[in-house]
Amino acid sequence: METPPVIEEAVLDLLRSRAPLARDRAELPDDLRLGSGGLGMDSIALVELLLDCEEQFGIPRPVELLEGEPLTVGRLVAHVRAAMAR
Amino acid sequence: MNGAARWAFDGLESGLARWASRQPRWALGGAALLGRTRNRLSRRWPSPDDVRALFPRLDPRAAARVAWSIGGLEARNRVLADCLRREGLDPLRPLVRGALPPLRPPLLLGTFHAGAVHALGPALERLTGPVLALRHGPLYTPRPPVEIVTTEGDDQRRAAVFQRALDHLRGGCFVVMALDVVPGAGLRVPCLGRTLELARGPFALARLTGAPIRPLVARWQGGGAEVEVGEPRAAGLQGEEIALATAAARWLEDYLRASPAETGLGLLRALLSEEVSPSR
Repeated sequence: METPPVIEEAVLDLLRSRAPLARDRAELPDDLRLGSGGLGMDSIALVELLLDCEEQFGIPRPVELLEGEPLTVGRLVAHVRAAMAR
Repeated sequence: MNGAARWAFDGLESGLARWASRQPRWALGGAALLGRTRNRLSRRWPSPDDVRALFPRLDPRAAARVAWSIGGLEARNRVLADCLRREGLDPLRPLVRGALPPLRPPLLLGTFHAGAVHALGPALERLTGPVLALRHGPLYTPRPPVEIVTTEGDDQRRAAVFQRALDHLRGGCFVVMALDVVPGAGLRVPCLGRTLELARGPFALARLTGAPIRPLVARWQGGGAEVEVGEPRAAGLQGEEIALATAAARWLEDYLRASPAETGLGLLRALLSEEVSPSR
């Protein structure tokens, strides 16, 4: 199984591929929103990112991340890490 | 047209909207007549010149008649929207005639702001399978197999709706959504010698699921509405959103060239706000 830092870097790579504004880790704090007010990903890009996560990590598509609180870098990384640990 | 005349027209239209729940056929017919008259007197929204800018082959008299008809179409649609908000689909169901051609899901039905745009609801109820309709601000609560979800909200909220539509199509169901006149950045494609910005969402859904897109429109005919479904021109083009959007715009162009009076005012404004394309 991948170690947590590797998972985190893989998630961030996916983010960088989908979000033009995604940059180095230092500029991607955990509380940075993926949508408006943050990385500016639109609705289609957000769903494609979840599809990427499903495909790359072999986890159920994390659709619940779209409900409730704003989706942030930290929420996405934590969710993928937890799903892969299950 | 002066303020008193505008006030009188608005008042008459409000009266027709209230009457529409009991006598929808007569109220909607009256609204069309009222809208035609209003346009004829004001020569605005749209003007005959607006119509000719989009359909230059029409002579001035024909353009004026189309402008009156669009005025009537808009008034009828306003009255119907008001009626739907108050009464739901019940008054409208008997007015939507005929059956849809056999449609096999998964299928994405794309609507345009053309013709009797609010009269599509009863036709959707006749589809043979679950239907998820995406709309910016639903007018009424539908009955099964139709479910309407709103696209209002921020990107994350819209992503949740987009995600539902994706699962719906992958589950072999119908999804209905507007292709034109939507907020946000879209796909710019040629239409009627101008540039039309279509929503990217439906074409992205088609790309991600492989489901074909078929145009869906309704038109007022006599005292009722008739629904028309376009051929799935998008089939086989999946993978290229812009190609799918171009095919949809071409279908719309053919439809409106044949029936210019079906051009909704919002669509007409969107087209006229864009520069004439160099290929014209």
